[in-house]
Amino acid sequence: MAILKTNKLTKHFEGVHAVDGLSLNIEKATIVAIVGPNGSGKTTLVNILTGMIPYDSGTVIVSDTTHRLKKIKPYTMYSYGLTRTFQEVRLFDQMSVRDNILVVLTKRKVIQSFFETQKSDYTKAANKILQKVGIWEKRNELAKNLSYGQRKLLEIARALVTQAEIFLFDEPFAGLFPEMRKMVSHIVAGLKRKGKTVILIEHDMDVVRELSDYIYVMDSGRLLATGTPREVLSNKEVREAYLGT
Amino acid sequence: MNIIPQLIINSIIAGAIYSLVALGFNLIYGATKFFNLAHGVMATVGGYAVFVLSKVLGFHIGVSVILGVLCAGFVGYGLDKIVYLPLRKKRASNMILLVASLGVFTALEAIIAILFTSQFRTLAQHIGTQRIYEVGSAIITQTQVIILIASLVLMAILGFVLKKTMFGKAVKAVSDDEEVAKIIGINTNKIIGYVFFIGSAIAGLAGILIGFDTGIEPVMGLRLLLKGVIASIIGGVGNIYGGVAGSFLLGLVENFGIWKISAEWKDAIAFVVLIIFLLFRPKGIFQK
Ligand SMILES: Nc1ncnc2c1ncn2[C@@H]1O[C@H](COP(=O)(O)OP(=O)(O)OP(=O)(O)O)[C@@H](O)[C@H]1O
Ligand SMILES: [Mg+2]
Repeated sequence: MAILKTNKLTKHFEGVHAVDGLSLNIEKATIVAIVGPNGSGKTTLVNILTGMIPYDSGTVIVSDTTHRLKKIKPYTMYSYGLTRTFQEVRLFDQMSVRDNILVVLTKRKVIQSFFETQKSDYTKAANKILQKVGIWEKRNELAKNLSYGQRKLLEIARALVTQAEIFLFDEPFAGLFPEMRKMVSHIVAGLKRKGKTVILIEHDMDVVRELSDYIYVMDSGRLLATGTPREVLSNKEVREAYLGT
Repeated sequence: MNIIPQLIINSIIAGAIYSLVALGFNLIYGATKFFNLAHGVMATVGGYAVFVLSKVLGFHIGVSVILGVLCAGFVGYGLDKIVYLPLRKKRASNMILLVASLGVFTALEAIIAILFTSQFRTLAQHIGTQRIYEVGSAIITQTQVIILIASLVLMAILGFVLKKTMFGKAVKAVSDDEEVAKIIGINTNKIIGYVFFIGSAIAGLAGILIGFDTGIEPVMGLRLLLKGVIASIIGGVGNIYGGVAGSFLLGLVENFGIWKISAEWKDAIAFVVLIIFLLFRPKGIFQK
């Protein structure tokens, strides 16, 4: 079953065809990699899918035909089960590391949240996820004081504690040490095992080959090639246009 | 006679009132990142609501105050839903929101003036009979004691809510990065709506307390707004605790500034302080 579909999705920025008639079909419980050279429109696609920028034309369909979205707003996208991380990490910098996690666990009923102090089960859940990504020792530091890699891990951890079904990770491995890369790779694989869907934007072909079930290769906002890692990585055009560089 | 104790008391009372205005102003600024100029008129709304309830409709004074505070809160909440939220949804710039809030301010002030005339009125029940306490060589009225207690209690409650509850964390997250807050599933518009309610209600209380201490008039909102904004700039805009510190500092400077000169200079002094901060410390005293 396709959990996320786009049809001829288009977004232009003053002459730049950032996303140009893109049709994707993403199956539930798979890891789908989106690769492509710099400026090929990968981040723009994620921005559209999470409602952070409006798109010009095309359709987005979430959970088969249940939601055919003409317009996307960020908050609605979360309610359809999407969450994301950012190529340039965005945390709640003025909050502690643990509060960055706790705030996700906030009851959605605003009135209720008034009377809710830090319950121990929330704290326990937050501690658990922080231990999982290895930054538990930093739990009381402000998020802005973390190192680059720790920030990336915290952002991923924050996405993990949401109730999302679809995770869009924009270059989660970039700039990480081998140890941390292993951790992230483990997390991504774990999501798939739990039946979640992952859309992974990644430059590193070794990671893509190891993790993904399906690959979309983008170039100038369009699809250059699609298929399983084996198919795509042996595609002559792809090798010349992208992997050769 | 030693006048210093009296100046200190006056400073503290002024600081307490300004804090109430600055608290809500900063709370709203933090969540929305625009200067909500209509904030000042919430104090006026609160004051006049109590006037109507207690003096016109004859409600018990305590009940009137509670309803008056709620009334200011609902007006603030309604403004967000009717004016600001639709603008935010259109991705209006903060400049547009500021201009809209100025329009709201003017309109509400005019409506209040039309309904109640521009006459100065007091909310006090029995004029001239209130109790007065002597503190050394200084005096403090019962109303002023209530102002102090009410604002301290409110600050403590707000501090607790923001620091300890999940709601507080959500407000902080929205203030930090509203877009990301949405991405992780926080209903930011709802949170902002509640922030408007709380901030406006507190400003309403400020207006009510002033009404008991001196009195209310339709134009009272502007002066209060300016003092709240100056206090906020002193403490760093958007910084709730900074705003409280800024308020007391402003109260001190204003009252000690007129030690040897006429009290009319108060506002001029406040603006000199504002300009000094804008020039040399635009991010406030706590700027790193
Ligand atoms: N907000 C914007 N305004 C104008 N142009 C933009 C905007 N966002 C992206 N673009 C342009 O759209 C194109 C696609 O950019 P995008 O960031 O989506 O590429 P990308 O594939 O994520 O690249 P990278 O690998 O460097 O992250 C680029 O030419 C970029 O300059
Ligand atoms: Mg990108």
